[in-house]
Amino acid sequence: MGRPLSTAIVGLGLTEMGKVYGRSASSLAAEAVRKATDDAGLRLSDLDGLLVSSGVTQSLNVGLAQTLALPDLNVLSQVSAFGATAGVMVAQAVQMIEAGAATTIACVFADTPLKPARKAGEAWAGRPRELKGMAGWSAFSGAVNPTVLYAVCARRHMERYGTTSAQLAEIAVAQRAWAALNPLAQMRDPITVDDHQASRWIADPLHLLDCCLVSNGAVAVIVSSAEKSERPVHVWGYGQAHQPRRMHAGSDWGLLTPAGRSGAQAMSMAGISVDDVDVAELYDCYTYTVLVSLEDYGFCAKGEGGPFVADGRLGPGGKLAVNTGGGQLSGYYMWGFTPLSEAVIQARGEGGERQAPSNDVILVSGNGGILEHHSTLVLSPHPGALR
Amino acid sequence: MTVVRRDPASAAFYDAAAQHQLLMRRGPSGTVLPPEARTDPINGSPDLEPFIVSGTGTLISWAIVPGQATTALVELTEGPWLFVRLQADPAVLKAGLTVEVCFEDAGESVPVFRLS
Repeated sequence: MGRPLSTAIVGLGLTEMGKVYGRSASSLAAEAVRKATDDAGLRLSDLDGLLVSSGVTQSLNVGLAQTLALPDLNVLSQVSAFGATAGVMVAQAVQMIEAGAATTIACVFADTPLKPARKAGEAWAGRPRELKGMAGWSAFSGAVNPTVLYAVCARRHMERYGTTSAQLAEIAVAQRAWAALNPLAQMRDPITVDDHQASRWIADPLHLLDCCLVSNGAVAVIVSSAEKSERPVHVWGYGQAHQPRRMHAGSDWGLLTPAGRSGAQAMSMAGISVDDVDVAELYDCYTYTVLVSLEDYGFCAKGEGGPFVADGRLGPGGKLAVNTGGGQLSGYYMWGFTPLSEAVIQARGEGGERQAPSNDVILVSGNGGILEHHSTLVLSPHPGALR
Repeated sequence: MTVVRRDPASAAFYDAAAQHQLLMRRGPSGTVLPPEARTDPINGSPDLEPFIVSGTGTLISWAIVPGQATTALVELTEGPWLFVRLQADPAVLKAGLTVEVCFEDAGESVPVFRLS
């Protein structure tokens, strides 16, 4: 098999997302893969690779190949790097295609954390407290779920650099303004900084409107040779970096993330600098994740994220188009497939009312753990100059 | 009322707490580590020994869930970081304040922290 000139994302499939009840993750994933394959102008039987990613419910696995009756795969794996998974999957697909292991690989995420008559937060709340052993002491501290831990990180940034809750609000307000233009978004009513400040505390310093949605649904992309597609989204670069938090004096956990290293790898491979980025689709489990990611990618200096996001910079009409679909805060919560899917839409120029003014270089960021695991993709509608 | 119960792996930690001592671990490099640590980060050794710390430290950061006690990230004088319950008026908190261990009876004696 010949080495392709350029590897690209050639198909995108999204299911209904949000309060979608009565369907399994595997059923949603199968629908997303079918839609992505159709979107690519391919048949299911053209797939020779499948990578699956499950979310918090861990209810999707390689059995999806059986569900889809895929007869003859050369690549089949479950990939898990927490919130960094989407970028890691696409990078693995590109690498395997360029190594000749497969030609056409579907990457799919599906999750069903929402149950009827269950509050969204409960999907991520600590499990019923098993206050035994060392875990008992840990639970006693209250550091039992991601929101509390991200709140500790955000507070650390506030204490060190003077970042304020009102600055985090600017991120939520800008993303809601994008979401208002996105028919796929779950939360489309505009909000103000005052609305953000008045929303209840989830874990001070994080208000409700600092926190992402929780959604049921699935998203799939097809990675293949660009020549097979009429509207390929080229993968110019990819990177990943992981730094499990160091719980010791001198640790920069919470203030500095591996997005810096991941981004440098991806941008170097793409032959670009951060100044070339037209659209940034950043993993946004919380507003603070966006702020710290902007700093670590180099959009602004460390500590200056608060002033940087002010005055609507990230919103429609702003200087930097960030999370143009509303992100996970206001759009839909499909882990790293939220920024990835919106990046594909923007690269194709299919954003409708929310289409960014230019889309030549699109950066996609994944974040997992508590600011510990990162992946980056650089995507473009144009064939890469260096690749 | 939250109740904490020991298991065999945590018996030494709660025995120390009952004596109002805070039990950490120390690796061959001399690095003092949180009780859940399994590897000395300096030399990769799994040979960690029990180590009683002074119980003093500083406040790194904190979060407050409505209706719950303050969750704090503290740095012990000996180096390790811990997530702990902090008994303090949230209005006075700022990074760098000095803290010290104290103990609450919650089934077991449980280490918590207060401003010092």
